[in-house]
Amino acid sequence: MDGETVIETIDLVKVFDEGKKREVVALNGIDLKIRRGEVFGLLGPNGAGKTTLIRVLVGLLTPTSGTARVLGKDVTEDIEYIRERVALLPQEAGIYDRLTARENLIYYGGLYGIPEDELEKRAQKLLDTVGLLKKQDYQVKGFSGGMKRKVLVARALIIEPEIIFLDEPTTGIDTIGARIVRNLLKKLSTEDNLTIILTTHDLNEVTELCDRVGILNEGKLAAIGEPSELEEKFRAANLEEVFTGLVTGEGVYQE
Amino acid sequence: MMWLLRKELKSIIRSRWLIFGFMMSPLFAWTFQGFFLNFVFAQSIEPEHVYITIEDEGAWGQLLYDRIVSQYQYETTVPDEQRFLKFSNLTTVSVEDGLALWDNRTAPVWVYIPANFSSIIEQYNVTTLIIYVNTGSFKASAAAERIALFSQWQIRVTDLYINRITPPTAEASYGHQLAIFLVMITSVLAPSPYVSKSFAGEREQHTLEALLVVPISRLRILAAKLVAGIVLTAFYSAFTVVGIVAYNALVAFEGAGSVNSQSQIAYYSVNVYSIPLIVFCQFLVLLCAIGIGIVISTMAKDQATSESVNNLLLLVPTMIIGILGFTGSITQFGGPFGLFVYLIPFSHAIMFLNGVLSPNPNWGTLTFNVVYMVVFTIVTLVIGAKLFEREAIIA
Repeated sequence: MDGETVIETIDLVKVFDEGKKREVVALNGIDLKIRRGEVFGLLGPNGAGKTTLIRVLVGLLTPTSGTARVLGKDVTEDIEYIRERVALLPQEAGIYDRLTARENLIYYGGLYGIPEDELEKRAQKLLDTVGLLKKQDYQVKGFSGGMKRKVLVARALIIEPEIIFLDEPTTGIDTIGARIVRNLLKKLSTEDNLTIILTTHDLNEVTELCDRVGILNEGKLAAIGEPSELEEKFRAANLEEVFTGLVTGEGVYQE
Repeated sequence: MMWLLRKELKSIIRSRWLIFGFMMSPLFAWTFQGFFLNFVFAQSIEPEHVYITIEDEGAWGQLLYDRIVSQYQYETTVPDEQRFLKFSNLTTVSVEDGLALWDNRTAPVWVYIPANFSSIIEQYNVTTLIIYVNTGSFKASAAAERIALFSQWQIRVTDLYINRITPPTAEASYGHQLAIFLVMITSVLAPSPYVSKSFAGEREQHTLEALLVVPISRLRILAAKLVAGIVLTAFYSAFTVVGIVAYNALVAFEGAGSVNSQSQIAYYSVNVYSIPLIVFCQFLVLLCAIGIGIVISTMAKDQATSESVNNLLLLVPTMIIGILGFTGSITQFGGPFGLFVYLIPFSHAIMFLNGVLSPNPNWGTLTFNVVYMVVFTIVTLVIGAKLFEREAIIA
């Protein structure tokens, strides 16, 4: 894939509580390039820095050093420009229980300045896609965890972003629901050229969806490439072997 | 920002218990007071120390004096349930002493039989007994009513007019002081659930992170939540007015055994003309409370912590200011304690209310009171905005 670079980090470092006893280096010299229309999987054990990286890229956290650019703009300088064009589905994303599924989508879209009639159309289409059209006027407080997650995916998409960050998008969704979400993401990537950055612990999902993956471990980018490339490079039978080998340092060939 | 505001208001309207609490809190506080007073009026039968003066040298005045004294003496020999006047003590004093006792508020009830008491009744078949009564005391009010009934029975009802002299309203209006106390207690703590839910609650429910990545400044997010909070306080103020009206009605309502005379009603009720002022002061108090609540809520990890810290932090100053306001002594302290009281923003709402209702308001001081509260609110909002901007808000 030779598209334009939409995300670029150069020697990106994020340190929490710098200079204190409890100092944590969450990101340690990350160099990364993601192209438009790419589905990029961020893998790593818990605490590897995946969520921190996403938060830096959407401007929720300020880098300690290094550079992070999204859509050609520096996250520390042009965050408003970036925010107008990217969507985020956080790992532990909550939803407004007192609003209906439709209202949640429209409210979120309204914050981006999209006209209400346009939002209505988009909401109908997205809720139909995720199978919640019949429940659109129900307050989401009565929804199951999986249904809420579907609403959240739809909510992230209602602004028709150029880039979407999905932190474990299918967690908690049943098999059929997860399949619907994956198909939707595939379609958006291929037809609408949407750039998707997702984190997940489901390696099958990564294999199915991602053009490339980056494996983060202890704040460092341990490996980056297409799944098949990584399998070849590390002489592993599958991506799971690559992942566990890099994280534990055992059972995988390293040059 | 309108989207944020719409969503906040929609969420509020659908939070039935929050709305219910906002309706019931002022209604309950005020109507409870009304019921309580009505009950107390009926139950104020504890013995009271009464002072009496006779200047009349005629037969009618002497008759009344003798009957009151002999009744008191008789009652000292019988069980409580057979007593009518229920004096704990009856002291005869001169006019000068009686006036002195009244002026320094030592005498709760002073019965004064004037020099022309007999001459007037002989000439016109009607006369006047003067009862000085401190209507600030339930016991005194009830004792005065018993004396009036007893005297009218002795002299014949149609022939005796009772002139009750009470302390000046500005000095002793229970309704005014109660308004201060209730406005303080209920308004300071009222915004806590909403403000805690708005910030710490969003954080706890993981809705904050997605909100903070939208292309809207955090200051505008904060402002939308503030405006929603103000709308909610307007709702609260409306029910405070309903509560005050209910309270006034209950004070005036003559329940079984009640002895609520016109003087008592005037003393205990809230002056209708002061209601807009009370609502204005309440608005200022609520504004300050929202400002403080926002600061706490942006620091707290969850809604419960935010509410607990908010209540804990505000409880002591609220109680101090509420009680000082109730006793009318908000500005009577100097030194470090006086400074502490002065620095608490809610004190200025009381000073403002007292100042406006005083006979000679000092408009400079009143302006300062309002400006102090507004500036305090702005400062807390700026602090809240700064805290809202920090990275740790999503950690």
